[in-house]
Parts: sequence; structure tokens; C-alpha cells
Amino acid sequence: MPVAASAIYFLNLRGDVLINRTYRDDVGGNMVDAFRTHIMQTKELGNCPVRQIGGCSFVYMRISNVYIVTVVSSNANVACGFKFVVEAVALFKSYFGGAFDEDAIKNNFVLIYELLDEIMDFGYPQNLSPEILKLYITQEGVRSPFSSKPKDKPVPNATLQVTGAVGWRREGLSYKKNEVFLDIVESVNLLMSSKGNVLRCDVTGKVLMKCFLSGMPDLKLGLNDKIGLEKESEMKSRPAKSGKTIELDDVTFHQCVNLTRFNSEKTVSFVPPDGEFELMKYRITEGVNLPFRVLPTIKELGRTRMEVNVKVKSVFGAKMFALGVVVKIPVPKQTAKTNFQVTSGRAKYNPSIDCLVWKIRKFPGQTESTLSAEIELISTMGEKKSWTRPPIQMEFQVPMFTASGLRVRFLKVWEKSGYNTVEWVRYITKAGSYEIRC
Amino acid sequence: MSGMRGLSVFISDIRNCQNKEAERLRVDKELGNIRTCFKNDKGLTPYKKKKYVWKMLYIHMLGYDVDFGHMEAVSLISAPKYPEKQVGYIVTSCLLNENHDFLRLAINAVRNDIIGRNETYQCLALTLVGNIGGREFAESLAPDVQKLLISSSCRPLVRKKAALCLLRLFRKNPDVVNADGWADRMAQLLDERDLGVLTSSMSLLVSLVSNDYEGYSSCLPKCVKILERLARNQDVPQEYTYYGIPSPWLQVKTMRALQYFPTIEDPSTRRSLFEVLQRILMGTDVVKNVNKNNASHAVLFEALSLVMHLNAEKEMMSQCVALLGKFISVREPNIRYLGLENMTRMLMITDAQDIIKKHQPQIITSLKDPDISIRRRALDLLYGMCDVSNAKGIVEELLQYLSTAEFSMREELSLKAAILAEKFAPDLSWYVDVILQLIDNAGDFVSDDIWFRVVQFVTNNEDLQPYAASKVREYMDKIAIHETMVKVSAYILGEYGHLLARRPGCSARELFGILHEKLPTVSSPTIPLLLSTYAKLLMHAQPPDIELQKQIWNVFKKYESSIDVEIQQRAVEYFELSKKGAALMDVLAEMPKFPERQSSLIKKVEDVEDTADQSAIKLRAQQLPSNALVLADPQPVNGTPPPLKVPSISGIKLDHESASQTQSQPNGDLSKAQSQIPSADLVGEMVDSLAIEAPPVDMGSHQRVYREEDGIPDEVDGTAIVPIGDQANKVEPIGNITERFNALCLKDSGVLYEDPYIQIGVKAEWRGHHGRLVLFLGNKVTSPLTSVQALILPPAHLKLELSLVPDTIPPRAQVQCPLEVMNIRPSRDVAVLDFSYKFGTSMVSAKLRLPAVLNKFLQPLQLTSEEFFPQWRSLSGPPLKLQEVVRGVRPLSLPEMENLFNSFRVTICPGLDPNPNNLVASTTFYSENTRPMLCLARIETDPADRTQLRLTVASGDSTLTFELKEFIKEQLIAIPMGSRALVPAVPVPAAPLAQPPSPAVDANDPGAMLAGLL
Repeated sequence: MPVAASAIYFLNLRGDVLINRTYRDDVGGNMVDAFRTHIMQTKELGNCPVRQIGGCSFVYMRISNVYIVTVVSSNANVACGFKFVVEAVALFKSYFGGAFDEDAIKNNFVLIYELLDEIMDFGYPQNLSPEILKLYITQEGVRSPFSSKPKDKPVPNATLQVTGAVGWRREGLSYKKNEVFLDIVESVNLLMSSKGNVLRCDVTGKVLMKCFLSGMPDLKLGLNDKIGLEKESEMKSRPAKSGKTIELDDVTFHQCVNLTRFNSEKTVSFVPPDGEFELMKYRITEGVNLPFRVLPTIKELGRTRMEVNVKVKSVFGAKMFALGVVVKIPVPKQTAKTNFQVTSGRAKYNPSIDCLVWKIRKFPGQTESTLSAEIELISTMGEKKSWTRPPIQMEFQVPMFTASGLRVRFLKVWEKSGYNTVEWVRYITKAGSYEIRC
Repeated sequence: MSGMRGLSVFISDIRNCQNKEAERLRVDKELGNIRTCFKNDKGLTPYKKKKYVWKMLYIHMLGYDVDFGHMEAVSLISAPKYPEKQVGYIVTSCLLNENHDFLRLAINAVRNDIIGRNETYQCLALTLVGNIGGREFAESLAPDVQKLLISSSCRPLVRKKAALCLLRLFRKNPDVVNADGWADRMAQLLDERDLGVLTSSMSLLVSLVSNDYEGYSSCLPKCVKILERLARNQDVPQEYTYYGIPSPWLQVKTMRALQYFPTIEDPSTRRSLFEVLQRILMGTDVVKNVNKNNASHAVLFEALSLVMHLNAEKEMMSQCVALLGKFISVREPNIRYLGLENMTRMLMITDAQDIIKKHQPQIITSLKDPDISIRRRALDLLYGMCDVSNAKGIVEELLQYLSTAEFSMREELSLKAAILAEKFAPDLSWYVDVILQLIDNAGDFVSDDIWFRVVQFVTNNEDLQPYAASKVREYMDKIAIHETMVKVSAYILGEYGHLLARRPGCSARELFGILHEKLPTVSSPTIPLLLSTYAKLLMHAQPPDIELQKQIWNVFKKYESSIDVEIQQRAVEYFELSKKGAALMDVLAEMPKFPERQSSLIKKVEDVEDTADQSAIKLRAQQLPSNALVLADPQPVNGTPPPLKVPSISGIKLDHESASQTQSQPNGDLSKAQSQIPSADLVGEMVDSLAIEAPPVDMGSHQRVYREEDGIPDEVDGTAIVPIGDQANKVEPIGNITERFNALCLKDSGVLYEDPYIQIGVKAEWRGHHGRLVLFLGNKVTSPLTSVQALILPPAHLKLELSLVPDTIPPRAQVQCPLEVMNIRPSRDVAVLDFSYKFGTSMVSAKLRLPAVLNKFLQPLQLTSEEFFPQWRSLSGPPLKLQEVVRGVRPLSLPEMENLFNSFRVTICPGLDPNPNNLVASTTFYSENTRPMLCLARIETDPADRTQLRLTVASGDSTLTFELKEFIKEQLIAIPMGSRALVPAVPVPAAPLAQPPSPAVDANDPGAMLAGLL
């Protein structure tokens, strides 16, 4: 049973309805009021993405400054519901040119109504791929059939597009320059104890592609993953290369990937959609190269003073560098005055999140940087609860570095016409939830 | 506040926040800013400080925690300028409460403002104290506030605030106002002309007299005078007149205050008061204006309570009732409700009952009112006003109403109807009729108690039995009857069905047939009952009916493998029994009579009773400080009508009664909810499990049940104590009880027992053969200890009288229980205190020996050689003089031994014995039988072997000599070791001499037995 959404609402942060579409009659029109009074105005917002009120389930998520609420009255597949919302947002973004927020919605009411009509029918999700929808729901003016100019393109066949073998790619594309861009984006999640023991560590990665290729090309991607390499060596009946191989967990592919070939040959081969798409997702839990080490020492000197020393070491290659490094060091709520000394970057105290925020724009590899701060606390009346010491959080981006060690071995493009292609490969590692206890 | 830009910018920022999250971020930012500023306070100008403290208050009002900056707020109190002072006061009273330590810092500044000359500052300070003043404020500021209140130079505004402030301080610490010094001033205050000051002073007076009216009698005439002034509407300024009523608030308060005084004696005051009341009663009517109605009715109802309190003449009463009668016929539901409620209150006065009866038809109409609260009140009133004369009418009315009443009320209604029927039944058959009708009409709402009770009645009244049996037989003919009816019918027909045997349609077989028809429709708890009935029917079938037997056996066989254990057991047992033939007669004999006891229904209704009674008397009862004496007060003043009183029993019995009542409450509820659990009620118990047992056994077991339930005093024998003693005592005592007892044998005060919840201290005074022990029961925890029971198990030689022990010890309170002791004859037996209480759900009990031991009745006496030797010689030989060689004595040096003897009041007379190794001692023993009796002792020690000595004791009484010798011996052996383990080592008096008559432990004396066990 898929979503069977009864209605979908877009609310701003105050709880006003920006736009909504009712797909079924089984919920009343005032359900959104229930959502506003029972969820938005309580502190529970953000705790639990699914709430049940009065026989209805509210499946909601927040995207920038918009809440998207799906109201479901039956026992629906919630994961499917979330997937639908995420895909819908991606669709809107591709229509609006990148941004999805309150203003974007206000500027595109008509378009959104059109799309909402198309992407869900009687509560069941339909085709959400932007490439296809853009053929039919256009933003340009429609040429009148009585205009004199003959059509140079055949009318796209809608049924074939929806039901055809390669539903994601239009035929007859042609580019002057045939290019493929491939990005491997990884985010590192880490929880480390104050002594430096890794408590939890994993990497979630995505392979993103952007294709500008003519015709119906067939692509084949080779990574240094374990199964692919083993299979290859088996087929070529020679021992595997001794290089590092990566074990990928939970791999999911875009629908264009030919799964039968993947199952038999363990190679990723596909006919790509035109433009940007996410080819595959994976997770890695072992053999993660951590880009940063953090050594905190936090001393509470009596009830009104604290001393914080944080040393951050970059452990990736010396030629590389990290960008946008932010270290958030939590301090008690009653912090009154702070004094800093940093070897690089800038630090300041942000009272609204109760953290010292230390920003370093560019952090070269194999270096270290320290912050030492003196903190004065104000004395309080409340009962003397000891401070819970939340973990230090870190944000960063390291280009050309993969925490998993994943590398692209080859990317082959094959097309009937046999044109030449240019392939661009890029790697980037970001911080997911990178936390160090102190 | 004007011109504080930072503050208004902050507030407008907050107001412009789009959502809660943005607001929180803004607030957190501001709090960070304030913290930084307060930390850099070197340069903090008064203006800035004020601004930030206002911001703090604003943030606090938005609902965020502000847990710093109190210091700054408090320091602003002592600022010189008004705006800053004002902030200081306002913020302090908002952010802090009376328990904050920080307030101490403020006391001095507040005091300076109070004693200062500036009125505005005085008002600010008084308001703060009035809002958050605590104990410490009360101690340090009360005199100054009092001075302000009585000063003639202050403006009324300040004095008004001072009166309210003093009221707050008094509530926090009643010691601050001393009746001796303050009563006169209070009376003076009541002469005040300004009504504002007068109203607040009256509030103070109400609080004062509610605590203790003694000493304030001089205020009484003044109160009456105020009422006169108001009633005659003399010089009441316009602003204190509300819809033409002169200050209704002051009127109400004054009348409330008057209710705290006992009845007024002075005839002239009384007369003028009645005049005023008369005027109020006459002058009140129902008008259109709601506000005016509210005000005048408030005054009227207070006047009614006062009339009731004063026990006014019948004439006035009837006037009140007439007025209320007018109220209950008004259309406005609020007024009708009030009328009914107040009539219920009037019922407390017996005189009024007859007058109220006149309104019975009107009240019965109220039962059909659309408003449920009015219906409830009407029901309460009907229930309260019922007596023998009108019971029949009322009960019939209730029964009729039962079929239309809504479900939420039916249970209460049926319970009340049942009680009224029971209490005022003109004849018992009517009672049976009513209850059966009740069960028939409202089966689901008839609790088990009701039918248990009717069964009790029928069992206990022989002439009722045939009638009841025929009546239920009639009901059985109906097509659909309720299960409760099946239960009653089954029980009654089983027991007494044979009495009807001659009538048509009532032979055993027919009865069986008609009952068995119902079997498929009943639930499993009823089936055992039916099985018992079948067994009884079978037994009563004379001559034996083979056909019936076959049918019944078939039923038993069918249930032999029932999944319900109870059913299975009964089926099997009855089957076997019924094969025995004649023996069946003995086993299944008729149920014995039930002991007469208070109806469990009445108990139950007492729990349910929601008395909306807010009379001053009741309030006073609640406000009284909870000391032991009050709690032991047997009759809590509440609004229950007089017939419901528990027959009061004096002394220790009462304690049991109340304890058992509290215990039985949960039971009652349980049995209601889940009839599987053995009910608290006797019949329930018997029906559930004991029906099979033969009468004697039956008798015994229900006797036991009875005792456990009711705790009647005669149960205080061995068997009754065992269950409590056997309970796993989970609460571990602190310290060694034996050591504590031993120490107390030598001292007169100390701790007897201690555990995590309670500490029992003892303080004793001894004079001659009398003694007075005071037990201090101290609750150590913050929740009350309930079901406290203390029982003395006195040995035969002591007469002990323990005053009442309260059932509950309030949190962190200490209760004193004096205990009078009288010594009748010498004996070493020890009195035992059986002490138990309940903490939460766990029962804790302890058996403690009381330090009323032999040596407490000794009086030290030092003799010279001239006095000693003639006595010593005159008492020659056993049984008056006993000698024994004691071995195994703990080695003591002579001075140590002297100390030991002196400590238990046997005085060593130095230098009487020529041998320095010998000690000679003397003492006087007091008891009722022996009178003061001189006792002499001689201890000959062996310097070579300190573990043995020769002990000679002489006195004028053989028992005393023996007991004292044994006592000294115990002390010499046992005490130094500090343990009881050595006691068996004491040579049991091996009768070397003529055995004195009495030391054999009286086997029937529980105290002695227990003491022996300990």
C-alpha cells in the first residue's frame, strides 16, 4: 500500500497555509488547524515527524522555511510518503531553478497546482521525474495550433514516455560537446569519546552525475569497490590487484541502472537521464579515514570560571585543504564573558545556541590549530545542576578527498555514433554529524 | 519606564518574531547580552541596571527561565530613586518566592522602607512582603508592620496594605501575633471608620480567630456593631456600596469571623445581632440583576451559616427555611442549587428537619430538574431529611426515579435507597421488598454490598425467611432477571427454599428447574453460588428425589472439569458429599447468624459523601494545628447527618475502629470493581469460599475474618497478633533495639526505636510506684504515616494506661503519647509496646520492650551502720534473705561495680562492711502491694577471681527479695556484655531455696509471653 495521502499542505513557519491540495474526501478541511494547534504550537515540533491526531496521521517535514504536511487517514507507508515529499521538493527545485522556500511557492502558485495535479492521483504517487514532466508541464507559452509555422519536432508521445523502456530519457537529444560530470559526495558521521575512542563512525556517500550526451548512450562505471573488483578478476581469471578495495553497504541505484547486469557482472551500466541525477547511494562503516582529530580539554574552575582548550588536527594529505571549517564548542547556559586566543580563524560566543563558534575558512592538510578560551559564568539561583557537557560539533568540506577511499576506476561511454566524450570526476567529503564528546 | 529605548526595541523585536523559534533565539541572545553586562558591572549605571532588570522580567513573563540576575534585582530595592526601587520590588516579587535564600538579603532594605517616612515606599515594601513574605520576614518585620497598622498618622492606604501584609505574615508564622498583646489593638482597629481599612482588618481577624478565638472576645461586640452599621446603612460611603448593598464583602467577612466564636452569651449583643440577621433575612429577595443577586445571596448564605452556628430560635430557623423554600422554587438554576445545598446544611440542626419536610414535594420535583448538579443536591437533601415518618414515601420516590435517572447517578442512588430502606424500615418485609425491587430495577448499579446486606438481614431474622423466599420465588418467574437477582434468589432459595416446600411450584425439583434455567445466562462468579444452592436443594429434598439427584449430579459432573478452579472444586466436593447421604445434613447445615455490625453500606456512603459544606466550623476543624489531641478527636465535624455517626467507643477501641475503617475502604472499592476478589464484607467472604464448610469451622473462620476487618478490642489475644507479627518486616530499624532498651533501663530519656521513617523517643518520670512515660512518635519523612497503632501488652504486675495514639502522624511532626504506669507487685517482666504503622502501602510493625523495669521503682537510700545492721539481722534466712554464688560475672573493679549499682538506684553504702572487697547497698522499693519496702544487699567479691561473687539480698517481702536478687544478677552478667546471648547462661534459679510463689510466667498474659519471647 503506497501513500494514499488524503491531502497535502504547505505551511509557513507561522502555520499559515501557503498552498494545499486535497486528494480524497476522507479528511475535513480543518485538519490543518489541528496540526497547527496540536503540533506547531507545542514544543514537540521536531521531535517526531509523524503524529496522530483524531484518527489522522500527520506526516510532516520541514524544508527551509516551509512545512510540508501530508495528511493520511489510512495505514499508509510512511517512508513512501517521505520519499514522495523529497522527490516533489526536488522536482519543484528543478522547476524554480534551485530554491524552494516560502517566496518561491508564492511566486509559482499556478505551476505548483499543475504539478500537484500531475504527481499524485487519488493519493497515489505518480511519475515525479523532472525530465518527463518538463515535457508536458512547461513554463513557456504554448504555440497555437493555428499558427502558420510548421512544427520541426514531432509531438512527444506521452504514453510511450510513461510506459516505454527508457522512460527517463528522451530520444533525439544532441549536444555539440558531449560531457559527463561525476561527483562523489560523502558525509562523515562520527561520535568520538573525549579520550579519542571512536564510538560510532560511518560515511554516507552519493554519486551524482550530470550528463550532456547526445543520442542514447550506454555508460559503464567502475569503482574500486570489493565486489566489482572480485567479479572482474574472476571473469578475467587472474588474481585481484593488491590495491585497496572498499566494501560498500546498502547500495541503492537510480532507476536507470540495469540491475540484471549488475547482479550478473557486478558492473554499473546504465543509460543516463539527461541533466543532473543521483546515480547511486551507499554507506560505509569500516575503514573510514577521518579527516580531523579534535582534542578538547575543558576545565571547570569553581562555579564561575571555565577554561577551554581545543586542538584540531587535519590528518588528510598535505596538498589538500579543508574549506569552511566550523567548530562549535558548547558552553554552559550561564556564560557571561569570553576571552579567546586562536592560532587561526575567528571565534565568537553565540548565546542563542550556547556555543563558542570557531570558524576557519581554509585549513591545510597535516597541520593543527588551537583555540584557548577563558569563560566567566554568572552565578544563578537555580538548583546547582552540573553541566551536562554536550559534544563538540564540527562542520567542514574537504575537496578531492574521500573518507571512504572510494575512487572511480573508469567511466566508459558507448554510443552508436561513437562520438568522443569528456569525463569530469570530482570528490568531496563533508561533515555529517561530526561530534566529539568533551 | 518611558524613554527606555533598549527595552522597547527588544519588546518590538519579540513581537515581530515570525515564530516561536525566532523568539527563542532572540531571547537567548538577549539573555547572553544581559549576562555579559551584569558580569561587567563596574560600569553599570542605575539606568542600565534598571533596563536589564525590566528585560529580565519581560523574558520571565514570556515563560523562559531566568535563573540569574536576582542579585541585581534585589540590589535595586535599596536604590534611592523611585523608578529603580519600583523595578526592584516588582521584579523581586515576580522572580523569587518565599523559600529563596536570596530574600534574606532584601529583608533589611525592605525594613528600611517600611519604617521610613515615605508612603509610596512603604506601600511598595508592604506589597512585596504581602506577596512573598515567608517565615523570616514574619519574624523580623511583624512588629514594624503592626506599628504601621495601628499608627494614627498613616494614610488609610498604607494601613490597608499593612493589615493584609500582617495577614500574610500571620499565615506564614502564627507566632508573630500574640493574642494577649494584640487583642486590644485588634478591637481598636475594628472601631475604624474607613471601610477599606476595616475590610482588610476583618480579613486579618478572620484568620486570627480561625486559628484560635480565645482572647479575641473583646472583638465580638465590635463585629456586631460593624454589622449594625452596615445593615442600617449608616455612613457607608458611595464607593463601598455595591448595587445598593453596603459593602457585601465586609458583611460576609464579619459574619464569617463571628462563626469562629462560640455562641454569644451576652444577651444584648445577641439580641442586636439577631436583629441584624433578621434584617438580612427579611431584606433579601430574588431580583433580576445577576450581580445584585450574587452579592445579596452571598451575604444571605453567610447569615444562614451564622444563624445555624448560633443555634438560633426555631422561629428564625423556620424563617430561614421558608426563604430557602422560596429559593428552590425559583427558575434560575443557580439559586435553586444554592437553596438545596443550604437546606442540606440546615439539616444538621435537628429542629429544622420538620420545617424542611414541608418542602418535600418541591425537593422531589427538583429530582427531575434538567441540571444534574441540582438533581444531585436534591438527592443528598432527600437522603439527609429522611426519617421513619417519611421514609416510605422518599424511598418509593427514589425507586421510581431510579428508572429514569442517568447512569452516573444510579449507583449512588441505589446505594442511598438501600440505606434508607434499611435504616428506616417500618417492617423488615418492606425492606426486603424494596431491595428486591431495587435489584430488579437497577441491577447493574446495585453493588454487591447491597445484596450481601439483605442476605444478612434475612439470615438473622427467622420470621423473615419464608417471606423472602416466596418473594424471590416470585421474581424468578420473570423472564429476564438481572444476575444480582439470580445471586440473591439462589442464596435465599438454597437456604430457605425448603420452607416453601408445601406451596405449589416450590418443590425442590421445581426450584431447581427454575434456577437451572438461569445458569446458562450468568457469569462465572455466580455459578459457584448456584452449585451451592443445588447442593442445598438436594439435601432439603425430602423425601430424597432420585430424579432430582440425577439431574443435579449431572450438573456437578459437567462442572467437574471446569476451567474455573472455584467452580471445579465446588462441583467435585458437592458431588462427593452428596453421595454421603445423611452426612450431608451436617456439612450443609443452615448458615449461622451473622454478628451484628455496622452496615458496610453506611461506611461506603460515608466515603462517597461529598459534603459541599464550607461552614466556618468545618474550616476551623481543618485549620486546627494537627497535634495528637485533635487528631484523636473521635468525631470529625462534617456535614453528615446525625444518624450516620459511628457509635463511639472510648479509649483504645476507638483507635482500632478508625484504623479498621481506613483499611476497609480500599477493600470496599475493590470488591466493587472486581467481585472475584474476596469482598470486605462478611457475606461476600462466606459466599465466595466458605459455603461448603460445616458450621463450626465456618464460625471460626468468619470470626477470624471479622476480627481482622473490624479490629474489635477483644481480639487482642494471641491469634490476632500473629498475622501482624509474621509479616515480613521490610523496614530495618536503625541501631540495635536491645542496646537502646538496655540503655534506657539505666537512663530516663532516650531513643527507644528508630527506622528510616519514624523515631520513637521515651522520656520518663518515676515517683514511688507511679511512673509517667511519654512516648515521642516522630515522623521523619515528608509524607504522613498512617494507620498508626500502639498497643501495650502489660505484664501482670504493671498497670499501664496509654493515652490515645493518633491514627496518622503528619509529615515531619512529632506526637506525644503519655503513658501512665503503676507498679502493683515486684516482677522482672517487661511491658511490651506493640507498635505498627503504615508507610505508603507497607505495614511496619515492631514489638518494643518498654523501659518500665524493676529498678525504676527503686528509690536510692543511703543508710548508716546503725540503721543497716539491725535491719540486716532482723531479716534472717530464706525466703526473706536469699544468698547465691554467682559465676561468670564480667570482671569489674570495685569502683566500676559501685557505679553500676548506683546507676540502677541501688545505693552503695561505703564503709559499712569491714572487708574492703565487699559492698553493701540499700534501696527502697515501691509498689502498690508492698508499700515502700527497704531492700538490702551485700556483694562479696573475690579479689583473686573477679568472675565470681556472692550475692545476698534481703527485704521484707519474699517475692521482692527473689526478684531483686535475680535482677541484680542479670545486671551483673548481662549488662556489661550488652547482649542477650548470655542470658541463657544465667543459672536458672535452681531452687536452692524455697521457691517464692509467683515468678512463674502467667501463660495467659500476652505481654509476659511476648516479653519472654523477646
